[in-house]
Amino acid sequence: MARVNAIPGLSALIACVALLLIWDGLSRAFAVSGLPPPWGPLRELPNLLTEPETLVNILASLRRMAIGFVVAIAFAVPIGLMMGRSRAVAAFFNPLFMVIYPVPKAALMPLIMLWIGIGDMAKVLVIFLGVSLPVVYHSFQGARSVEEKMLWSAAAMGLSASQRLRRIVLPAALPEIMVGCRTGVVLALITMVTSEMIARQSGVGNIFFTALDMGQYDTVYAMIIIIGALGFFCDVGFEAVRRVLVAWAEPSHQIAVGSA
Amino acid sequence: MSIRRNLVSLIAGALPIMAALFLWYAVCALKLAPASLLPSPVTVFTRLIALAGDTNFLTQAGITLFRLFVGFAIAVVLGVSIGILAAGSRAVATLMQPVVRVLAPVPKIALYPAFVLVLGFDHSSKIALVVADALFPILLATYQGAAAVEPKLVWSARAAGASPAKCLFTIVLTAALPSILTGARIGLIIACIVVFLAEMITSTDGLGQMLVRAARNFQTVDMFEPIITITLLGLLLNAAFNVLSARLLVGFAEQP
Repeated sequence: MARVNAIPGLSALIACVALLLIWDGLSRAFAVSGLPPPWGPLRELPNLLTEPETLVNILASLRRMAIGFVVAIAFAVPIGLMMGRSRAVAAFFNPLFMVIYPVPKAALMPLIMLWIGIGDMAKVLVIFLGVSLPVVYHSFQGARSVEEKMLWSAAAMGLSASQRLRRIVLPAALPEIMVGCRTGVVLALITMVTSEMIARQSGVGNIFFTALDMGQYDTVYAMIIIIGALGFFCDVGFEAVRRVLVAWAEPSHQIAVGSA
Repeated sequence: MSIRRNLVSLIAGALPIMAALFLWYAVCALKLAPASLLPSPVTVFTRLIALAGDTNFLTQAGITLFRLFVGFAIAVVLGVSIGILAAGSRAVATLMQPVVRVLAPVPKIALYPAFVLVLGFDHSSKIALVVADALFPILLATYQGAAAVEPKLVWSARAAGASPAKCLFTIVLTAALPSILTGARIGLIIACIVVFLAEMITSTDGLGQMLVRAARNFQTVDMFEPIITITLLGLLLNAAFNVLSARLLVGFAEQP
């Protein structure tokens, strides 16, 4: 156990190989054309990834995802922090967010398309909506559990309310905010794929579902591998950022999960 | 004092929702947006009430609910049993952790085409997607809850003569219950959302298909109804779940 964990990423690599073998076994067991063994899609991967069109689509997707994500953080973190520090703000926003929470954000895509067209704006908006809620929630939790004594000391030293929010509450809540952001990254990817599937124009979701309609199963499964890898590496990258930013906080063992 | 504070916060909380509804109403009443793009809330809610007696609509909602519950139930059984086993056995945990580490952040919706190709367009592929999506929050919450159980409880039970397997199911499962229920609630809302998306992608039947069909026919009012219905279902299920877990957790320490 200790030896397996000594090399970073080795256990994940072994898990991937195991999953491929399970996939191979399943495809033999089912023996349907819809589930080819994994080796065809794996051979398809380099072809797909060297094609400029695919790369343009993937980059377009990632750009939309990044914009939606950054705007959501800029919006959600201040609201969450204020909710955590003021009972009135929390009472004001909590029911609204509670009502919005179970709305399938990607399902709003057809309506949003009617209003602002099928361009980038609609997709960025949907990603923004999907990411905002978990970030608000975790910022709220983080700000609520800030040690009161630190705030009193800061107030005694003459910091104004907005200064306290920026210099005490924000750093103290940062570990929890990062947990929210990590969930948010995964959610951004999910909403991105789903929104592109509904408004097929460009992006990863477009290649994916067009290949499905044309019955190019190797491409479909290669895209599943690509999207899965994007999810995994976004998560790993975010964990690395978190470790650098809040190295002083206890490591969170939480694995990001989320859904559109 | 506390009743009055509750009342004040209730009113404060209702304000933004009322304001949003009023804004929607005002935009329509002032004809700032054409009714074909944004129907008035009065029209939307009147239609919703009319639909509540419509057999076809109720059938579609029933199909969606059926898939949601079956998928959620399978996810709970799988998630809780794997989570408890992993907490009880070192070998299972070693096997499970890397696989979960790789699979949990994967957008499950990307697996949906594979499910359709293997399981077909009917119930099973949609249920499989619900299971895939709802499983991980439940599994992780169970594992974390079960791993954090006070060891003295287990030692006492072992000293009193309980077998390791019996310990796992009577002590660990019970002590991990608050954590399991938290995970299950997240899983329930996820199941709600995912079943709707699956029905949107392969529009055969259910609420999601109603949205897609309304969008294709440009019937804006009918596009609102499935979204509002699934949201209300999510809120109702969440409330029901809270009541249930409050009853199950009698005697446990207060949950944050």
